[in-house]
Amino acid sequence: MPEGIYCNKQPITTDEALKALLSDTRGKKYYEEMESLEVDREKLWSSIQKTMKSRMKTWLSVCARCGLCADSCFLYLVNDRNPEQVPSYKIHSTLGEIIKRKGDVDNAFMRHAMEVAWSQCTCCNRCAMYCPHGIDIGIMMGYLRGLLYSQGFVPWELKIGAGMHRVYRAQMDVTTEDWTETCDWMAEEQQDDWPGLEIPIDKEDADIMYTCNAREPKHYPEDLAEAAILFHIAGENWTVPSEGWEQTSLAMFAGDWEACKLQVQNVYAAIERLRPKRVIGTECGHAHRATVVEGPYWAGRPDGQPPRPYIHYVQWVAEALRTGKLKIDPTKRIKVPVTYQDSCNYVRNWGLAETAREILSYIVEPGYLREMTPNKEHNYCCGGGGGFNGIGKFRPQRNKALLTKRDQILATGAKLVISPCHNCWDAIRDLEEEYRIGIDWSFLKPLLIKMVVVPEHLKPKDDDGDA
Amino acid sequence: MFGKIVFATSGAPDCDSAARVAFDMAGRYGSEIVVFHCLGIPGKGDSNLVLDVRTGEEVDPDEEYLEGVREELRTTYAIQLSACKNARIEIAVGNPSREVLRAARKEDADLIVMGARRAGVEVGGFYRRGVIGGTHRKVAKAARCPVLTVSRPAASFWGGFSNIVFATDFSKASQSAFKLAQSITRDVDGELHLFHCLDLDRLQSPIALTQEGIEGRLAEARRKIQVEYAAKLGDLAKRASIEVWEGSPYVEIVKFARERQADLIVMAHHTRNVDPDEGPDERPFGSTLEQVLVRATCPVVSVNRPDKLPEASEA
Repeated sequence: MPEGIYCNKQPITTDEALKALLSDTRGKKYYEEMESLEVDREKLWSSIQKTMKSRMKTWLSVCARCGLCADSCFLYLVNDRNPEQVPSYKIHSTLGEIIKRKGDVDNAFMRHAMEVAWSQCTCCNRCAMYCPHGIDIGIMMGYLRGLLYSQGFVPWELKIGAGMHRVYRAQMDVTTEDWTETCDWMAEEQQDDWPGLEIPIDKEDADIMYTCNAREPKHYPEDLAEAAILFHIAGENWTVPSEGWEQTSLAMFAGDWEACKLQVQNVYAAIERLRPKRVIGTECGHAHRATVVEGPYWAGRPDGQPPRPYIHYVQWVAEALRTGKLKIDPTKRIKVPVTYQDSCNYVRNWGLAETAREILSYIVEPGYLREMTPNKEHNYCCGGGGGFNGIGKFRPQRNKALLTKRDQILATGAKLVISPCHNCWDAIRDLEEEYRIGIDWSFLKPLLIKMVVVPEHLKPKDDDGDA
Repeated sequence: MFGKIVFATSGAPDCDSAARVAFDMAGRYGSEIVVFHCLGIPGKGDSNLVLDVRTGEEVDPDEEYLEGVREELRTTYAIQLSACKNARIEIAVGNPSREVLRAARKEDADLIVMGARRAGVEVGGFYRRGVIGGTHRKVAKAARCPVLTVSRPAASFWGGFSNIVFATDFSKASQSAFKLAQSITRDVDGELHLFHCLDLDRLQSPIALTQEGIEGRLAEARRKIQVEYAAKLGDLAKRASIEVWEGSPYVEIVKFARERQADLIVMAHHTRNVDPDEGPDERPFGSTLEQVLVRATCPVVSVNRPDKLPEASEA
């Protein structure tokens, strides 16, 4: 069978196609069809010739298989140091092999490569820190994912996720109407407690344009309300765009480069339309990588930068605390043993380790911070990065991958994990559900709201009853 | 009185009393009723799996599963649905409190009817926070329309609402609750009991309070009820009574309602100082409304805002 009804090389571009694929519970038929999906060898090889640039060629050729990357990989460690989990082996036995064979690979090979690309690597880029040549297997794995996606060998959930971006420009089926309605709803819900609070939509020339993760309007609109409350307390002149508000990119996890470009262009168009002084993204790691770190290249921006300065939420929080826009009530600081989960995508890929620590210095009572070992740029992936969290087929592997983070957290003795990244937040929630170690986990926003000093003029004026 | 009722249900027996009241009201007042069920909490990152709120199992909310849930609800409420002309079932996936609020907003509901889950139900840590108590607290706090809670079999309701207790703490939110109590009383041609409890726990140590001090405050509260509420009742005044007691408000409200054989308590939620996200252990001892909800033998309707109050029919 060249292509299946569910599993094929065509990207999802319509709502009907999305619904049809979703109706295939857990991708049962999809994966059945994948077993006989034909590899278009010619296309695969020609695509490699067109897209594989000198950096990747150099990396593959200079890799001496020295194995220094082995211990850097938490998946290698957690899988009893299985040699097949050595990063350099993982990439040479997949991408390297495809190139060696000039694309002449079969279906079984591609399915194996898919398993390696999505269940043995979270693209956390930690190996690159330890490679004497600076070879980044995570980047190459991303490239491999793109090749696999173009041939239809992609996990079911990520095919859907990339399709969502193509159809809705969001990782979930949140329409413009749903989004603006949610903004109105959340502003309205908060106005009793926060008189004058607004979520301004499409305000031009604001100081800040805020972008978020589609899961927020879809399932956790409180997150948007919390962002609004903190901007309100800080006295920021801010806005959200009616279009181009979704910052995440499951398409990046899927290796759907075209959808990545469409998604990020949508955000950039909003920036150009509204001309904010700068843009702030929500507490999400991969969203930052997709829109700020890699996005400019997908969108073909010559300077490698988004249209306006674009910062991560922890950067705004640190700045607001530093400049006194947000003041913390010292009596309300965190007084339980607490640790911080460094998200690979904005710590290792964007250098925000110290920025995050600056925030902790304001919100944690001295003596209560228990750093994980290792930490900052050397921290391990939460165990669910790179799309790993969402792929049902690889759940057993994912659950095992959570062990590293579980043990790191246990060793700190912390009861609370601060995690300004949706993906890490999910992974930590899941590891608690899976292994029951008795921890709590939180984004920054709800913690800040509990301890920030509310200026008198922002407090509600009505009486509180006298009894 | 209430044109559209959203009956939020888990489908479990916990909600049976609420179901009876909701459907009965819909029948009695000719309301449209939306039976709303949130079946699962999204889980596992970006995957499509959800955690079923009732079983705690991971499920795929595909069409087949959704239809199964719909069918189960149809079976559970078969008799009520067959007797109700204007009823439909809606289901959703998400955090229950959020989805109930979303549905109420989308439907432009005039009333949300909910059951209150009994304490002591064995559930996992993940759900305890999201569902038990928390769902109810969040809905009652944020809803723009009144929220009617039925936590126990409400036998007296078979005769309809007629004896209504309005409990006030004189807050701004209580103004909205008063308007609601007034409308309902007028509409059902019932009796209205205006009640306030002087909260001894919130005053200085009761030992330091003299009897004269307490009585002085009681008299002041009585005067306040007279000025703020009774004076605005118009022709309804002849069917109203005023009572002020002292003690712990939730205990006294429940006692008073029992004594007056009330079949509805109206009050505001009004817990600005209570963070609904706090875990049960961190929460201050439950708000007055929460305790009344758990203990009252009759339905309790709460409202904080003036946005969606029913218009009383012509007297």
